[in-house]
Amino acid sequence: MLRLLCTIFFVLLVYAGNGAVPAVKPVKQPLVLKTDTAKITLRRLDTATIAVHSKQPEFQYRDDTDTTPSWWDRFWRWFWSLFKPIKLGQHGMSPFLRILSYVLQYLLLAAGLAAIVFLVLKLMGIDMLNIFRRKPTSANLPFTESLENIHDINFDDEIEKAVAQHNYRLAVRLLYLKCLKQLSDADLIKWQIDKTNSAYIDELTNAHQRQLFSSLTLQFEYVWYGEFAIDGKTFKNINTVFQDFNKGIA
Amino acid sequence: MENENFENRTDLSKLSTAVNQIKYTLAQIIVGQQDSIDLLIAGILADGHILIEGVPGVAKTLTAKLISKAIDARYSRIQFTPDLMPSDILGTSVFNPKNAEFEFKQGPVFGNIILIDEINRAPAKTQSALFEVMEERQVTIDGHTYKMQEPFTVLATQNPVEQEGTYRLPEAQLDRFLFKVEIKYPTLEEEIAIITRQHQQKTTDQLSHIQPVLSGADIIALRQQVRSFHVEAKLLEFVAKIIHETRNHKSLFLGGSPRASLAIINAAKAVAAIKGRDFITPDDIIYVAAPVLRHRIMLTPDKEMEGVSPDDVVAQIIQKLEIPR
Repeated sequence: MLRLLCTIFFVLLVYAGNGAVPAVKPVKQPLVLKTDTAKITLRRLDTATIAVHSKQPEFQYRDDTDTTPSWWDRFWRWFWSLFKPIKLGQHGMSPFLRILSYVLQYLLLAAGLAAIVFLVLKLMGIDMLNIFRRKPTSANLPFTESLENIHDINFDDEIEKAVAQHNYRLAVRLLYLKCLKQLSDADLIKWQIDKTNSAYIDELTNAHQRQLFSSLTLQFEYVWYGEFAIDGKTFKNINTVFQDFNKGIA
Repeated sequence: MENENFENRTDLSKLSTAVNQIKYTLAQIIVGQQDSIDLLIAGILADGHILIEGVPGVAKTLTAKLISKAIDARYSRIQFTPDLMPSDILGTSVFNPKNAEFEFKQGPVFGNIILIDEINRAPAKTQSALFEVMEERQVTIDGHTYKMQEPFTVLATQNPVEQEGTYRLPEAQLDRFLFKVEIKYPTLEEEIAIITRQHQQKTTDQLSHIQPVLSGADIIALRQQVRSFHVEAKLLEFVAKIIHETRNHKSLFLGGSPRASLAIINAAKAVAAIKGRDFITPDDIIYVAAPVLRHRIMLTPDKEMEGVSPDDVVAQIIQKLEIPR
């Protein structure tokens, strides 16, 4: 598309150019040579005037400036002399090799400077390799993590408290956690905070136990994640099922 | 031992029947790919657009076409090519000499189920034409805004970017896809089943006998039902933590957007619906986390060179977090 537009633009430009300026036919004019007949007056400076001018400092071209190089010039002269071996045969070189030698010279210079900078920063304890990389910041989460350890909870007491407060939802949660603890104590599952309920179900090798635990998990999920309201009677039924399962583990 | 039977707050019988019918319809032609099919159904229930990725010949387009066939709605297919223009997709205003007025001619994007085949064969200019229609479900041309008819779902297929003649999709567009479903090669058994089925096939037109199982109106109703599902507060926090971690993970150059958080919740609701629940669990969230995030997050160049995949990083993040219980 761009190419097409450029082509159109070019054609238009040529066309417009041709249209704007009409072709001019060359007109032959006769050649006329004129002779310069002006009178020339020769002027000369006398020696006295030259002597006066030559005494003025503006006309004295003696170079009496100090040509001794400064320490800075000497340093750079010395520095560039280090690269002299590279410039060997500079005059006899082909233009390509001459350019190459110059490029190499500056590359070596850049590498040397980079090495010095790297060394200095390394000595200062700055990690150069990660200096431009975004540092991972720890997630400052605005909510609390429970990080409960099921082995530290006195489940019977906590369940009793929850039931006394008619908080049956919490009581079912505690029943489920207690069940997980007992499975973990019996080495039937390996407790980890990042494992989901289905992961624990998959860990159970006994098919009957897995089926029962799946059923308990479903009840827990409906009550806890589904937030289905349960009353004391329903809790009693659920509690019985959990107790039966726990007896089976022991 | 007597279990307490809980009943869902909403009646999911129609939804379950529809899901089973779609699965049955697809299973008549597609061998295996159960997870991909579940995600496709979940994507449609969650009112999202789906990007299907896979190497050539793994039935990406066929799967998308089957899904489209299973839904009785206006179906439209766009084959993306390198010379495709935005107006070829959206439509254009054409001068009508009869009434001396410009009339808008709708492009193929005006449909209910849009199958964009080989989406990554078109350059960024053409991809940009999809931004507004995918997110806002409307098209603005010549100062006029044209609303899309619901349901509106884009099913796009693409080959991996390493293939010849493809472009990387813009991040803004990738973020508009609910899922990136990766279709893998079939197993040996599945491959044998594919060959056998093809060998015994009498007709070459596999799709001719596929009947729609859901109407557009059904899809709208099911989507509304799924949207009303219950989500426990700690699970919302769990999703927020996952997304937050993607923004601070050292292996990631770009993390998930707030749109990704919403996508996880919506997708998890749809997965819960497929499983017959009207509330979500951590399992649902974990199941959809990788398909929702794999195309939205960007690895750092060094991790990309090491061969780390976005799925690996998502798994690492989830492994670090406590499951809300």
